[in-house]
Amino acid sequence: MRSVSGRVGIWLLLAAVLVLLPHALSFSQQEILVFLTINILLVASYRLLTLTGEWSLGHAVIMGVGAYASALYTKEFGIFVPVSMVLGACTAALVAMILSYPLFRMKGFYFLIGSFAAGEIIRLFWNRFREPFGGPKGIKRIDPMPDFDILVWQFDFFEPVSYYYFSAVVVGASLWLMWRIERSPVGLTFHAVHWQDKLAEATGVNVRAYRTLAFVVASGFAGLSGALLAHYIGAVNPNIFDLELMVFVLTWTIIGGTATIYGPVIGCIALTIVNEIVLREFGLEQMRPFVYGLLMIVSVLFLPKGLESLVQKGLARIASSGLDRDMGRERETPGS
Amino acid sequence: MFANFLGKSQTRRKFLGSASAFAGFSALSSALPGRALAQGEPIKIGFLAPLTGPVAGWGKPGLDGVQIWAEWVNAAGGINVGGESRMFEFISYDNEYDPSKARTGATKLIQEDGVKFIMMLGGDTWAGVQPVADRTGMLFSTLLNSDLGPETTTLLAPAESHPVYNVTGVEWMAENYPDLKTAVMCAQEDALGLPSVATYLAAFEAAGIEMLEDPILFDWETTDFAPIVTRMLSSDPDIVSLDTCYPDYVHPIMEQLFQQGYSGQVISCTADFYGQIIEKTSVEFVEGMIFQFPDFDDPAMNQDFINFQNPNKFWEVYNERYPGQWGAVSWEYASIMDIWSAAAVEAGSVEPDDVLSTLLASGTGKHAFGDASWWGEDLFGVDHTLLGNWPVVRIEGGKARIKEFRSVPAWYDKHGEILKKHMRAYGQMPDQR
Repeated sequence: MRSVSGRVGIWLLLAAVLVLLPHALSFSQQEILVFLTINILLVASYRLLTLTGEWSLGHAVIMGVGAYASALYTKEFGIFVPVSMVLGACTAALVAMILSYPLFRMKGFYFLIGSFAAGEIIRLFWNRFREPFGGPKGIKRIDPMPDFDILVWQFDFFEPVSYYYFSAVVVGASLWLMWRIERSPVGLTFHAVHWQDKLAEATGVNVRAYRTLAFVVASGFAGLSGALLAHYIGAVNPNIFDLELMVFVLTWTIIGGTATIYGPVIGCIALTIVNEIVLREFGLEQMRPFVYGLLMIVSVLFLPKGLESLVQKGLARIASSGLDRDMGRERETPGS
Repeated sequence: MFANFLGKSQTRRKFLGSASAFAGFSALSSALPGRALAQGEPIKIGFLAPLTGPVAGWGKPGLDGVQIWAEWVNAAGGINVGGESRMFEFISYDNEYDPSKARTGATKLIQEDGVKFIMMLGGDTWAGVQPVADRTGMLFSTLLNSDLGPETTTLLAPAESHPVYNVTGVEWMAENYPDLKTAVMCAQEDALGLPSVATYLAAFEAAGIEMLEDPILFDWETTDFAPIVTRMLSSDPDIVSLDTCYPDYVHPIMEQLFQQGYSGQVISCTADFYGQIIEKTSVEFVEGMIFQFPDFDDPAMNQDFINFQNPNKFWEVYNERYPGQWGAVSWEYASIMDIWSAAAVEAGSVEPDDVLSTLLASGTGKHAFGDASWWGEDLFGVDHTLLGNWPVVRIEGGKARIKEFRSVPAWYDKHGEILKKHMRAYGQMPDQR
């Protein structure tokens, strides 16, 4: 009972921190917070894909599919922005479904390269076809999230604080969904497909179908993150979703760790702080490639299970000290 | 949201007003007496350009140049704005050529740093900044005219009339080397490359030079240029045009042209850090290359009509501090500051609205390469480009030399319809963008 109430307390505390956080930041840091929130959804969705053991190099492009689709739905058909975001996510999932047919004829390294090639083909489509994708200049003046009022609160989505709250709700709900999926029998099967694919196949699991399912669901969430981005900055172009962004996603994932849902999220937060706060504050932007490379090497050498392993150790220590306290109390209580 | 709850909705007036208030902490210093004029608070100017990544070559050298400009102006006592002596302070933000980071940078510079004017490279990053400009009314400058449109009411292109000035290089080449009759071209397929492709096609057509094949458009992540160069050379052209390729592309393409034995004419918008190209190839190979950006130690820069202050000294100081780093943009942001500060002095104000209206009021301006007119309605939908003369530069004996200053408006008066035709074919007219 005490542990349930403690857990509720922790969640309430976290929620309070997330609500108050933007008000402790400067305007530009609030802007960074919005992009960080969107990137958290992107990197968490990438981890969902990796549950089946496959690493893709096309995830940033899939994010772009959601961004382009949502932008076009609002611009061409006048669809209400929140609905177009959901449709953008569905389009990204649909594109992933189509790509899965050729891609899942491959595994491992071949899948990795195949996903890169598929992503580049999509990017070339955006570049080549000015109608409807805008060619190299992309799509500009994308409809923003419409402003609205709730009682005395006014939500102006040009302001980063309003958009942060909106995206935090969307990303929070998405993370909860991904967590539920992982804890469900489907999620357990994803793990089985990763670690014991022959055994899983022998027990009747359709390995390819589950890999496809993970790819499609992860792509849907990546597409949603793209839609959130597009309606905030008001513009998309092919260069936004290039290999550089994919390298960032991989770096966040590797440095954060992939054993838990919060691993890549920690990696994303830590490196965003390093990039946007530390390097900028000290005028060391020119050192970015060096710092990222160094962090990657240090992480692989000294923290192979990622930053999440530090959190896990901390939690284990707290749990064991709590256990020791409880046992000590029991020893002191006569007749216990 | 909470700001709104407190009744502070982000209108344009509030946005700028709060920025001024933020900057106003130093206003006390203006009460101190000066020798001739009262000392006002420093004027903060934003520099929002890529300082890292593949496009940094058109950001970092500009920041270096503008810092030299600020040192000179401040050493001379600043500028007189409304009876106060005002110094300059530049605040930079690396947008990494990413629209979302450009948006963040623009809001930081306006909201937190209280800048009065923001200089950008433009291109892909302008799309992220445009909503901020619309909302705040901040005055921005770009080096790329293709960012301009009827809706960009607070965006100016005072230094570069890119890509239109590229026509001067082709025109000069056609007049001086009439035997060159066929050309090929390659460019990265992006917001910078495509309008430039349309311009070179128009210039070639006007000069009677035949394109042997359609321009080769490559992805901006391309690193291997051997197949592109092989394909270009397969048609045995007299001229290879490198369009407006980024410095990171010009160098490997030149290396490939050298390695594959090309000995014809090369024309390019830029040849940044051409000394490095010579090191990788040879003086003989680069001899005769035509481009558009002079070294400022050139004697031709001392002519009476040049408005850039003390260009030879600027070149000397720049090269002392940043040897081998002189490039197309090294002087451009400094020249924009010449134009902006003259307007601020005339307006007696540094507020964006006042400076903008003063700049455009006469319809003319003092461009670095001579007096020019605000132009562009025909091609960009708004007269926000300062268009006049532009130099044609040729490498001779391993050194860039200005061959002539040519009038861009004169070319446009004769061949404007050809340019519009090609711009439309590449989807670059205002109604298509």
